[in-house]
Amino acid sequence: MRYGKFVSSENESIDEVMAVVMPAGQSYTGLSQAEIFCHGGRQVASLILDEIVKSGARTAEPGEFTKLAFLSGKIDLSKAEAVAEIISANTEQSYRAAREHLLGNYSKLIDDIYSDLISLLAQVEASIDFPEEELSPNETKALLKLSDKNINQISSLLETYKGGKIIKEGFKIALAGKTNAGKSSLFNQLLKEQRAIVAPTEGTTRDFLSEWIDIDGYAINIIDTAGIRKDAEHVEKIGQESAKKIIEDSDLTLWMFDQTDKDAFEKAHSNSQEIKAREILLVANKSDLISSEKWSKQSNQTLNIVETSCKTGEGIKELQRKILEIIRANAKDSSSGVIVTSRRHQKKLKAALSHLRIARKHIEVSESPDITAFELRMGANELEEITGRIYNEQILGEIFSKFCIGK
Amino acid sequence: MYDLIVIGGGHAGVEAALAASRMDKKVAIVTMDASKLALMSCNPAIGGVGKSHVVKEIDALGGIMGEAIDATGIQFRRLNLSRGPAVWSTRVQADRVKYNQYIVDFVNSDKNVEVIEALAGELLVKNHKIEGIKTESGEAILSKTVIIASGTFLGGLIHIGEKKIKAGRFGENAAYKLSESLKSIGFKTGRLKTGTPPRIDGRTIDWNKCEIQPGHEPIPFFSSRSRREPFKQTPCYLTYTSEKTKEIISTNFHRSPIFSGQVDSTGPRYCPSIEDKFYRFKDKDKHQLFLEPEGNGTDDIYPNGFSTSLPEDIQRLAIRSVIGMEEAIVTRPGYAVEYDYCPANQIKPTMETRLVQGLFLAGQINGTSGYEEAAGQGLMAGINAVLYIEKEKPFILDRSEAYIGVMIDDITTRSTTEPYRLFTSRAEYRLAMREDNTRDRLMEKGEKLGLLSGREYSLFVSLQAETSRIEKQLPKIQLRTSQIGEIGKRFIRTDMTTLENLVRQPGLSISTTVSYIEEFAPELSTNREAIERAIISVRYSGYVEKQQREIDKFKKLENEKIPSDFDYSSIVGLKTEAKEKFTLFRPSSLGQAGRIEGVTPGDVSVLSIYLTRIKSIAI
Repeated sequence: MRYGKFVSSENESIDEVMAVVMPAGQSYTGLSQAEIFCHGGRQVASLILDEIVKSGARTAEPGEFTKLAFLSGKIDLSKAEAVAEIISANTEQSYRAAREHLLGNYSKLIDDIYSDLISLLAQVEASIDFPEEELSPNETKALLKLSDKNINQISSLLETYKGGKIIKEGFKIALAGKTNAGKSSLFNQLLKEQRAIVAPTEGTTRDFLSEWIDIDGYAINIIDTAGIRKDAEHVEKIGQESAKKIIEDSDLTLWMFDQTDKDAFEKAHSNSQEIKAREILLVANKSDLISSEKWSKQSNQTLNIVETSCKTGEGIKELQRKILEIIRANAKDSSSGVIVTSRRHQKKLKAALSHLRIARKHIEVSESPDITAFELRMGANELEEITGRIYNEQILGEIFSKFCIGK
Repeated sequence: MYDLIVIGGGHAGVEAALAASRMDKKVAIVTMDASKLALMSCNPAIGGVGKSHVVKEIDALGGIMGEAIDATGIQFRRLNLSRGPAVWSTRVQADRVKYNQYIVDFVNSDKNVEVIEALAGELLVKNHKIEGIKTESGEAILSKTVIIASGTFLGGLIHIGEKKIKAGRFGENAAYKLSESLKSIGFKTGRLKTGTPPRIDGRTIDWNKCEIQPGHEPIPFFSSRSRREPFKQTPCYLTYTSEKTKEIISTNFHRSPIFSGQVDSTGPRYCPSIEDKFYRFKDKDKHQLFLEPEGNGTDDIYPNGFSTSLPEDIQRLAIRSVIGMEEAIVTRPGYAVEYDYCPANQIKPTMETRLVQGLFLAGQINGTSGYEEAAGQGLMAGINAVLYIEKEKPFILDRSEAYIGVMIDDITTRSTTEPYRLFTSRAEYRLAMREDNTRDRLMEKGEKLGLLSGREYSLFVSLQAETSRIEKQLPKIQLRTSQIGEIGKRFIRTDMTTLENLVRQPGLSISTTVSYIEEFAPELSTNREAIERAIISVRYSGYVEKQQREIDKFKKLENEKIPSDFDYSSIVGLKTEAKEKFTLFRPSSLGQAGRIEGVTPGDVSVLSIYLTRIKSIAI
C-alpha cells in the first residue's frame, strides 16, 4: 500500500490517495490489478475515474471482474455463480447460502459426490477392461451399495432445493378470503411491522398489491388478492381467475375470515379446501370484537389457524411466528449448511440422479456393464457441468490405485 | 531414392511399410535382423480388451496384423461376452515363430518393399526437411519420408537384477547413435521402462495342478478375409503363486533394480512386475498367472503375470514356488528394459514431427506400449507419409471414429507418465465404436485411400445390405412364444411374438437370440454375422442415438480449428500456465484444447472468445 497524490494529465493534483498494486496471480481476477482509495465524496471519485478513463481505461461491465476471475481459473463455475448470488443477496439467509457456495463448501460437496460416482464408475470399468483379473468377488453387492450411497447423496442435496429456492427467490404468501375479512388491513399491518426490502426476483403480478418484507432473514413476498391496484390495466378482467392463479403459485395462502360473521369459519374452511393451494393457514380476524365464547375452535384441533385483530395488532406476532414455522419446515437444513439454490444446478443434479437410477437397475439385473458405464458417465458429465472437470484419466487412476491389475 | 524409409521392422514398422506399398510407394525397411520382422518380444498373443478393436480397425484399413494372427493363432477367445457387445473383445494366442514367419514371407513377396539389414545411425535433415538416413556403418540411404519405429531399441538397456546389458531385446543390439541424432536435431527425449517374464520349459510343469482354459468355438477371427482348415485349439492354463512366492519376493525387494534405484524410469501400472504386485498390494497373498504356450512347435511357456527384473537365481527360486512349477526349468530369464521415447507433443495428429517435415514417429518411440497400439500408429504414419508425398489432405481419425483416433489424440494431448496402453474406458463413445461395426466405421475410408482390394470392399457392402434387410424383416416375422423358453412366459396375452420383440427382450443374451432365430425362423437369413449385427444394431439403437448426440456436440468443438502456428502469448487474460500448455501441445481444434491436461474450462473459454474475435475481424 502506497500513499501519495493523484495527479491529472495536466499535472493538477486531484486528491491525496492510497493505492494498492496487486501483481498477476495475486488479485481477485488473477490479472495484475490496482486499487485507489480516495477521500469520500462523489466529486473526487468521479474526477479520478474520469482521469483514468481519459488515459485509456474503461469502466467494467457488471460482473466483469468475476468473469475474469473465472476465465483465469481463479474460481470455478459454481463459485462464480455464488459471487453473483452474494451480491444480489438481500436477506441474511440468502447471503449465508451464497457464502457457503463462495467458500467452496458447495463445490466440495459436489466434488465428494463426483468422486464417489467416479469410484463407482471405476469399478464398473475395471470389470470391463480387466475381465481376467480377480476383482471383488461380491461385485454386484458392492456396486449396489455404492450406487445407493450416491443416489442418496444426490437426492438429499436435491431436497434442499425447495428451501434453497425459498432462500434465493423468496417465499410467496397470498392473502385470500371474503371481502371485508380484513385482508388489506393485515397486509398493511405486516408491512408496518417488518422492514420492506427490494424484490430479489421479478414480481409475477402487476395487477395486485405486492410487497416484499424480511421476516427473520427470509425474503417474503406478500400479495393481496383483493387489493387490485387502481392503476391496473383492464381492471374489470382481473377477477377471481387471476386470484386463483396467485394462490396456486404461492408457497402459503393466508385465508382470512371475519370471526364475527356467523358460519364464516365453516365457509372459509370449505372454500379454502376447494382452492389448490400448496399450504393454507386460516386467519380468524377481528378477535377484538369477540369477547368470550369463540367459534368452533375445539372441534378443529388439527387445523392450522391463528386469531388476529388487525385493529389492535393482537395475534400478529403469533401469525408471524406461525409463518416462520412453515417457512422453516419448507426450507429444511437451510441454516446449517450447503443447499442448492440455482435452478441450473437443480436441473443438472436431477439429470445425474436419473442416470444413476438407470445405472442401478442395470447393475441389479447384472446386465450390460457397457450400458451401466454409459449411464454413469452421463451422470458424471452432468456433475462436471456444475464445477467443470475432466475425468478419463481419473477413472484409470482410481482403478490402478484400488485394484491389483496386471497379468 | 525411396519414397519411404521405415526404421525398425516391428509391428509398427511392418504396417507402415505395407500401407505405403499398397498406396504404390517404394519402401525400405531398415532393420538389424531381416528374419525378425514383427517378432513378439513379450507375450505371444494379439488382441485383448480395447486392443482387439485396434486390430479390427487395422484390418478394415487393409493392414496385416489381423490376417496374420488368424492364420497362425493357436487359441482364440472372446472376452467380455457377458458385458455387452460394445466391449466384446477378441484375444488370440499366437504361434510366435509362425506369426513372425508369416509376416516375413508376406513382406518378402511385396515388390514395393525392400528389407535392408542395417543399424540406422543418423537422420539426414536439410532445412527442417528429411532427406534420408545414414547407417551406423556410414552408408547414406535417401528418401522422401522417414518413419522411426524403433521400439525398445532406441537407447535400449536391459536390467536383470544388478546386471545391465545394452540391448533392445535379449541377445540383440541397441540403437544409441540414432537417439543422439534425434537429440541433436532438437527432439526432447525421455526414458520409459517395460518388462517381460522368464520363459519356462513346458515339459517341466505339472499341468494337473493347473486349471485349463480352452479356446472358444466357433473361432472368432479378426479378419473377414480369414479362412482356415479345421484345427485343434491349444489350451492355456491358470495357476497361482504360493505363500512361499510371496516370502521369496518380499525378502528380495532390494535386489530388484526397480526398488534399488538402478531404474528410475516408469513402467506401466497395468502390467506391473511380480515384485511390484507384492510390494503394492501387501495384503494380497497370491496372484494368478496365465500359462501361455508360445506355439505348437516349442515347449516354451510364457507365464503371463510374472514379469520381473529380479536376479536370475531369485527368479528360478520364485518360479519353483508357483503351484505346478515345483520342478520347472527357466529357459530364459525375465528382465526389465529401459528405452528412449520422444514425448508425443512433438508430433502432429498425422504422426509427422513438428520439427522435421517428412519425418514420422510410430510405436513405442511415442511412449506407447503393445503390438496393437504400435501397429495402429504404424499404419497411420505409413498412410500419412504417402499423403504427405502426394501433397494430399492428411488422414486423421477422431475420437468418435476409431480407437486408433482415441489413442493418437490421447498421446498428443497429454504428457507420458507410463507406457500408454488402450483401454475401452479411454473411449468416450464406446457404445458407437464396437468390434462388430468396425468396417462400417472405416472401410469406406480405407477403400478411398486405396488400401483395400475391390473384392473385399464389395463383400462388405453386401454384408451391410444383408444386415439392413434383416433389420427390416425383424418386425414382420413371428415366433411361437412357447418356443423361446423362460422368455416366452413374459408374453401372457399372446402365443405369437415378432422377432423384433424377441430381440428387444432384456436379459436375453445375443447368442441365445441368434440361436432361437436360427432354429425357429431360419427363413430370416443364413448369414450368422449379419443376424448378429442386426440384433446388436436394433438392441442398441436407443443408446447409440443418445451417444450420437454427444458425438455431435464433440464434433462441433473439433471443427473449431486452431492454426498450427497460432500465437498463444498474445492472448490477454489467458493465464501463463495455459499459454505454456497450449504452446507445448499445439491443439488442432478447440475440442482438443479442452482435453489437454491441466487446462481448465476457463482457459478454453478465453481461447474460444479470442478465436471468435479473430474470425469476426477476418471476415
